[in-house]
Amino acid sequence: MEIDIRKVGMTYPSGKRALKDVGIRLKSPSLTGLLGPNGAGKSTLMKLLAAALMPSSGAVFVNGRPLSEKERELKSLLGYLPQDFGLFDELTVTQFLEYMAALKGLAHRKDAVEEVIHAVNLEEKRKAGIRTLSGGQRQRVGIAQALLGDPPFLILDEPTVGLDPEERIHFRNLFSRRAQNRLVLLSTHIIEDVQSVCDQIIVINHGGILFTGTPGELIQAAEGHVGVFWEEEVSREAGLHITARVNTSRGIRCRAVGDDLPSYARSEEPTLEDAYLYLISREEAR
Amino acid sequence: MLRMLPLELRRLLHSRFTWLIILLTVLSPAAGLILYKPASASTMLSVYLANPSIAGGVVGGILFAILTVYELDRTVRSRTEVLLDAVVSPLEMTFVRMAALAGTAILTLAFVMLAWLPVSRWLIGSVFGGQDYFLAYLLFMGVALPLCILAAASAYQFTGRADLSLVLFAAFAGLSLTVWEGEWQICWLNPSVWALSDDFSNFRIFRSVAYMRLTWLAALTGLWALSRLCVRQYGKSIAGSFIRNARRIARPAIAVLLLVCSCTAYAAQPLVDRSNPDETVMSFMEIPYLEGVLCSGRSAEVFPDTSSGRVKGRAAYQLVNTSGKSQQASFGVVPGYRVSSVQVNGKAADYSLGDYQEYNEALLEVEIPAEENVELTVEYGGFPQENRNMASMQGGMEISSEYLCLENAALAPRLMNIQPDENMYPASIEITLPRSMTVIPFGSGDAEVVETHEDGTATWRYEHSGTGGIVYAGDYIRQDIEAGGITIEFYYGRKHQAVMEEAKAADAVKAVADYCTEHYGELSFGAGDTLKLIQSRVVGGGYATNGASLLDEADFTFSNLNNASKGAAAGEVMIHELVHQWWGLGNMFDSSDPTNPWTAEGLTVYTTYRIAKELYGEEYAREKYVEQWKKETDDYYQNFYVRNPEYLDSLPEDKQLEISNSLSYVRQYCEMPLKIWKAQELLGGEKAMDEILRGLFNRELDPAYPYLTYEEFLDACGLLEEDLNLDENISI
Repeated sequence: MEIDIRKVGMTYPSGKRALKDVGIRLKSPSLTGLLGPNGAGKSTLMKLLAAALMPSSGAVFVNGRPLSEKERELKSLLGYLPQDFGLFDELTVTQFLEYMAALKGLAHRKDAVEEVIHAVNLEEKRKAGIRTLSGGQRQRVGIAQALLGDPPFLILDEPTVGLDPEERIHFRNLFSRRAQNRLVLLSTHIIEDVQSVCDQIIVINHGGILFTGTPGELIQAAEGHVGVFWEEEVSREAGLHITARVNTSRGIRCRAVGDDLPSYARSEEPTLEDAYLYLISREEAR
Repeated sequence: MLRMLPLELRRLLHSRFTWLIILLTVLSPAAGLILYKPASASTMLSVYLANPSIAGGVVGGILFAILTVYELDRTVRSRTEVLLDAVVSPLEMTFVRMAALAGTAILTLAFVMLAWLPVSRWLIGSVFGGQDYFLAYLLFMGVALPLCILAAASAYQFTGRADLSLVLFAAFAGLSLTVWEGEWQICWLNPSVWALSDDFSNFRIFRSVAYMRLTWLAALTGLWALSRLCVRQYGKSIAGSFIRNARRIARPAIAVLLLVCSCTAYAAQPLVDRSNPDETVMSFMEIPYLEGVLCSGRSAEVFPDTSSGRVKGRAAYQLVNTSGKSQQASFGVVPGYRVSSVQVNGKAADYSLGDYQEYNEALLEVEIPAEENVELTVEYGGFPQENRNMASMQGGMEISSEYLCLENAALAPRLMNIQPDENMYPASIEITLPRSMTVIPFGSGDAEVVETHEDGTATWRYEHSGTGGIVYAGDYIRQDIEAGGITIEFYYGRKHQAVMEEAKAADAVKAVADYCTEHYGELSFGAGDTLKLIQSRVVGGGYATNGASLLDEADFTFSNLNNASKGAAAGEVMIHELVHQWWGLGNMFDSSDPTNPWTAEGLTVYTTYRIAKELYGEEYAREKYVEQWKKETDDYYQNFYVRNPEYLDSLPEDKQLEISNSLSYVRQYCEMPLKIWKAQELLGGEKAMDEILRGLFNRELDPAYPYLTYEEFLDACGLLEEDLNLDENISI
């Protein structure tokens, strides 16, 4: 499975420009994390890949053919969990998943439904009406429908929103296992999720791609740009972007990223979050 | 796509709202028994089948429109659209959802038919028929459901908003229920059905409704296909989506093709003619008689096809041309017929069949040669169309193996401008029909079987005089009743035998004939000593001619014949039509001026009142007749247009006609009987009036003008016209 995004731009009918000249190539097997602040264009990019939107310029290629020609094929290969979605409240979990399985044209619907119910830990709720589910359980139903049929291309937009920490870990491991021979595109705000499972990262902001590469490459790019210092050492520092403040017995310890670290700041090994924030803050500073 | 249909249907049937709609739709025919009664006729099938099924179509249709908008909007409301669109194209889903809704509609119709079958059987009684039941619920109700689904879905697909779609649908349905009501081709929701026959077939009206429904099905499917192109995709606006979706040329092409088919079906409908809507225009009547040309006889062989409703025939006319020159003969042909050949003395002749139509006739013109003896033969055939001015009362030209009525130009081309030899047009008519049918010429002659055929048909022949003529045929029973010194041949449908016998309708017929003979004298219109009393398919009234009187089946319904408020006797329209044998239509009254209030109706209505008084009592007759005349006449005098006729002229032509026809009706049927009643009071009572009427009935006629004029009536009463003037407040 190969997705080639070439110079894609997207402007909504309202005039809002969500993406500009985006170019990415995704190839399975891979679990790619899509990072970016709110409004950066992540969801727009995912909708384009799910053929829910049509690019205003450029083109998306699926296995070498334009998406506009392969839309039906793409839909048959795709598992998609949008960020904002609803479910048919009048159906039970099993009925809803069977409905989605049938829409996908799966041959062994019952088996497929049982498999995903098991995968998302919803065995106890399989006969429950969807209207009776909690927010986290509804999110799990959403993930289950995306996993139906074990599709070779998974797009997951903020899949762990509303899940408790234990479930989050369960699901990121699940995605990681699924990505062993598939293409998974995962959008999330939770850097920890990305750090632990993604082999590729795309950082997007203001509709443009800031970075594509491995997490290590992103971290490497931030080396020498992360420092810690005590808050009383400086009242205001223009070139730094403080990423964390920790109350200690000695006072407030700050962690910051910046192009040039001041002398009082002690250089630290960057984490993925530091690297991401460094990238974004540099972009914002420009 | 097919694999998704059962799935979507199952999902739809999981919704409680769907089941609520189904339940309400199943109950909806009840509205036709209580609230909404578009079929005005009083036959059992009109009351207990047409009205419930039409009401079911209207209510059920509206309910399904709501369901459609609710369902199409459901994915937006529940935000499942994004999940579904990622799996299936929204355009494909429009098909699937539409098919699922149509499937639900079919299922609902099956429930309706099953639920109402025992109810209808019980209400309709012995005249219930399974075929009528099935067709009525299928056409009057069933097809309304997909039409409403298509209309509502189109509105939703165009607007993308549930509230706006419901408003648009309500406006569209409202048009059908108000402005378009009675316009048989455009009242898409509530078909224009005024009556269903109990005793005979209803194929003509079912055909008409089916045609209307199919026309609208094509139109709304086309509209839906067009609106489907506006289904929002890829985050685009309506215009962007349309341009994107219309790239596949087959999609807009199919939509346009369906719309064109619908428009063509509308324009080229074969059921109703294009007669001049202004019925005061009688240009065919003004065609002058040819000089020196007489008709010495005519004959016709008619072959109705009772399965297709078509007719073919061959008519021959024997003409004597003493003018020594070639002239043009004119015939009236019923619209829908085509003339395949015209021969004059064995040779093909030139002819033309005009496009202009008037009073359900088109003009056939044939050049006749200067020879003295001319044998003119016309071969014709086709599907007879009904008069468009009566389009809201279709069904009269029923042709089936159960019933047939062919009138004048529908039987054979009607001579228009050639005078008869010795004051009559002798005619010999042969008609070939299934053997189960009895042929009844409307008039004094009798038909007899002259030949039977191996295909199960028989040829009947009867003699007639006149340029046209009417023939009825059907599965009739004949009962002979001796009354008033004559034999009344009472024909009624076999399906109605039990009802007639139970209600002792024959006794009522005898009572009326005896009353009129006793009070006015024996029938004297040359009918001999017999009178045919023919129960016809429901036609909205009756009419009479020499030796025959037609009675609408609506007057013989079980409920009418057993209506306690009428003294458990036969309906009064039946009495009215029988009375016309004494106070005849064109025989005694000159009907050339339709606006003249002095017509046969005045005396006939008055006499009907007198008989009703004798049968049902003074109080009943006064309330149902005299008080009713007073009220109608008072309303007439208070009518704005009567008081201000100058405003009538400023109205549109069709409105003018509608108002003047209704005013004319009041003058003939209410004002004139009231004047006769006033004359009776001025003369000193009923006995005095009976004497005068007896004298007028038996007076010596002027052969040049054999009509009873208003002046003659006033003279016989010794009154002046102003004596019978009615005050504006009708105080007599």
